[in-house]
Amino acid sequence: MAWINQNRNALISAVIVVIVLALMFNGMSPQTASSVILSGITLAALYFLVASGVSLIFGLMDVLNFAHGSLFMIGAYAGWTYYTNPRLLFNTGSLLLALVAGFALSPLLARFIVLPRWARWLAFLIAFVIAIFSVRDFPIDKLVAMGMTMTGKVIPTAEAQEPMTTMLMRLAGAFLAGAVASAGIATRSAERRAAPMQQTIALVIGMIVAAVIILLAREPGEQFILQTDSNWRFLMAMVAGALTGGAIGALMEWGLIRPLYSRPIYQILLTLGLTFVFDQVVRFVWGPAGAFMEIPKWFNTPSKDCPSDNLWVWFAQNCDSVFIGGRPFPSYRLFIILVGILMLIVIALLLQRTRFGMIIRAGVQDSEMVEALGINVRRVFTLVFAIGAALAGLGGVVAAPFLGVYPGMAMEFLLQAFIVVVIGGLGSIPGAVAGALLVGLARAYGDNIVLAGIQLPWMKDAISGSPAIARASTVLIMAIVLFLKPTGIFGKKD
Amino acid sequence: MTKSIRDHLPYLLLLAALVVLPFAISFLTGEPLNKGIALFSQGLMIQVFILAVFALSYDILMGHTGILSFGHALFFGTGAYALGILVKYAHWSLPVAILAIIVIAALESFVIGILSLRVHGVYFAMVTLAFATVAFILVEATDFKQWTGAEDGLHGIPVPDAINPAIHRTEFYFLALAFAVAIFLLVKLFVDSPSGRVWAAIRENEARATSIGFNTLAFKVQATIISGIIAALAGALNAMWNLSATPQTMEVGTTINALLMTIIGGSGTIIGPMLGAGVLQLLGYFLNLWLGSIWQLVFGLIYILLVLFVPYGIVGTWRVKQLDWRAAWRARFARVSK
Repeated sequence: MAWINQNRNALISAVIVVIVLALMFNGMSPQTASSVILSGITLAALYFLVASGVSLIFGLMDVLNFAHGSLFMIGAYAGWTYYTNPRLLFNTGSLLLALVAGFALSPLLARFIVLPRWARWLAFLIAFVIAIFSVRDFPIDKLVAMGMTMTGKVIPTAEAQEPMTTMLMRLAGAFLAGAVASAGIATRSAERRAAPMQQTIALVIGMIVAAVIILLAREPGEQFILQTDSNWRFLMAMVAGALTGGAIGALMEWGLIRPLYSRPIYQILLTLGLTFVFDQVVRFVWGPAGAFMEIPKWFNTPSKDCPSDNLWVWFAQNCDSVFIGGRPFPSYRLFIILVGILMLIVIALLLQRTRFGMIIRAGVQDSEMVEALGINVRRVFTLVFAIGAALAGLGGVVAAPFLGVYPGMAMEFLLQAFIVVVIGGLGSIPGAVAGALLVGLARAYGDNIVLAGIQLPWMKDAISGSPAIARASTVLIMAIVLFLKPTGIFGKKD
Repeated sequence: MTKSIRDHLPYLLLLAALVVLPFAISFLTGEPLNKGIALFSQGLMIQVFILAVFALSYDILMGHTGILSFGHALFFGTGAYALGILVKYAHWSLPVAILAIIVIAALESFVIGILSLRVHGVYFAMVTLAFATVAFILVEATDFKQWTGAEDGLHGIPVPDAINPAIHRTEFYFLALAFAVAIFLLVKLFVDSPSGRVWAAIRENEARATSIGFNTLAFKVQATIISGIIAALAGALNAMWNLSATPQTMEVGTTINALLMTIIGGSGTIIGPMLGAGVLQLLGYFLNLWLGSIWQLVFGLIYILLVLFVPYGIVGTWRVKQLDWRAAWRARFARVSK
């Protein structure tokens, strides 16, 4: 009885959802219904990967990350680049790492110099000029030219890459720019909170060594990646996307959001600005047009017996589609569902079964109290931000063979993630699951009826529309939930 | 009287400078008003005026009522598309169309306000962003192509010759300037009115405003409606200026633009966002000349630096500093006179 009382909202909404689903699929053939449901769950898995991060980050630190869709997009681009054009990652990644190494100097510099206000701006200006000089004439368009299957212009790696000496000089320039800028942000309070000096030095040196190793390994590394078979390469691309997302998320929290915890409004102004910056970066580097990503061999092996009769046969054949409920369904989408479920289990285990998860759950309740108990909440914040961002990045790579990569995916998934968390309630993982399922199913159902056309009894012809209508209609669910229960189905915070 | 003139002097000087500007440029370059740099600079300033009004409408919410909306482009775009559709396809006359736009914007902002204001703070930002994105998707959808022109936008809006910017650029310049001044005075009136005081109370402490007995939801909806109408009017003027309405007017980028202008100028200061629009537009023009297409990226980075380091904007920072300077001057003067 107590259990029913506690979960009343969830139960009522579950009953409503079941009734609505029954009405929706009433009159639909079982084949169509099963394929709509599976498509819906596929989308739901992707939405969950984005929305769970948004929800977790907001629940713990009250920061609504408007750049989360961009992290999804960055993850997708990073994974896709790893898969098709790793030389771009080797050449740019080392520069970025050197820049970050320069920034990481700031707690160390704060021990020796604290600049007056005007000198800070001067430092930023000098850093900016050094940065401009160190990337001047960097042949990014040549480096990109291999992955762009659309433009089809391939430049061999040897021509596209700059000689090692030039790259090493650029590396030094990037490090210097970061170091000068970090002198600009060094403050006394940063010094007081800083880690021990040896730790900072070790971190900086480690990053520089890593940057140089990446640069030195660029040619054998590229050969190695391009020669691994497509399945393993894809798995590694997933890791690359998640790592890129996680690293960018951690940097964002550490460098940009942390200084603004005293001004919460400015945090979201900042993250909104970041969506714009990421969008521009992606358009600048990869161009405004999107690209498709190859589906790995496991899900794309041609054979005369395709589509496979059932899942067991598929394991032997690796066809691109499987008969489920009497209709062929793309097997890659089953993989997306699998990844979504796996990540849900991982998050649930992390939150419920580990000490770290316990700290997170306690922090969602009352982060000041957790801090009072002697736990370094700031570090937990950075880690959770990184985890949320890594989930989004992973989602991006998984989505890439299904939807392709294009700059618009950031806004698209941000929108759906917001709708999901508004429905489910911010800060609640069960809410994110429920919301994602609801939105995914509604979206798939909407796509289906929009394509088939709607014919109400008094109409002569069916009205059909473009998929854009289905995309837009999910906001209706959000409006209804807002109207009935503004905090969302599982939400408690207002 | 003298005090009020001294207080208003900077504004009057700015206005006088803007009135003289086209003639001054024409005089300096020796070209007639409808040629070369004189013509071009008027075009640049017209955009500044339109965006200044848009930024001002945004600041009614952000700076004066303390509501953070990320869907403001929705109203701007509504104004643009409503004008285009009503004038081009329904063949309404311009004044009637503008009255209709006021009604449409009022209804739209009422519905969105009522729905979204049920939630607070960041939730509101998120929900308004969702609504605006949906409007953007619908405008770009191929289903309504015959009215909205889908991704290409709605082109060839017939504007009466008397104020057609392609023919009578200088007249349009003064129309836009008059519009900006009128909206500036109107917003000042609103902000100084009793309602405006309640907005400020909500911004500072909503719980306390409620406990005094104000129905804060009603006042917030009121602010949303006023701001929505002004934004839609700015959008309509923008459509008249471009003779087209494009999906870009509904994009998140447009909202970010408004935010940027407000933050550069200083939120909550009425004139600040308008100056911000000027700075942003002119800076954007020169950065574009200098850097090419990458200027938008530089812009985004500048925005992030501003949010981090200059949160009060030009006017806000100046007002704070001005007090410091005055105090310093007084202290020095007192020492000397002793």
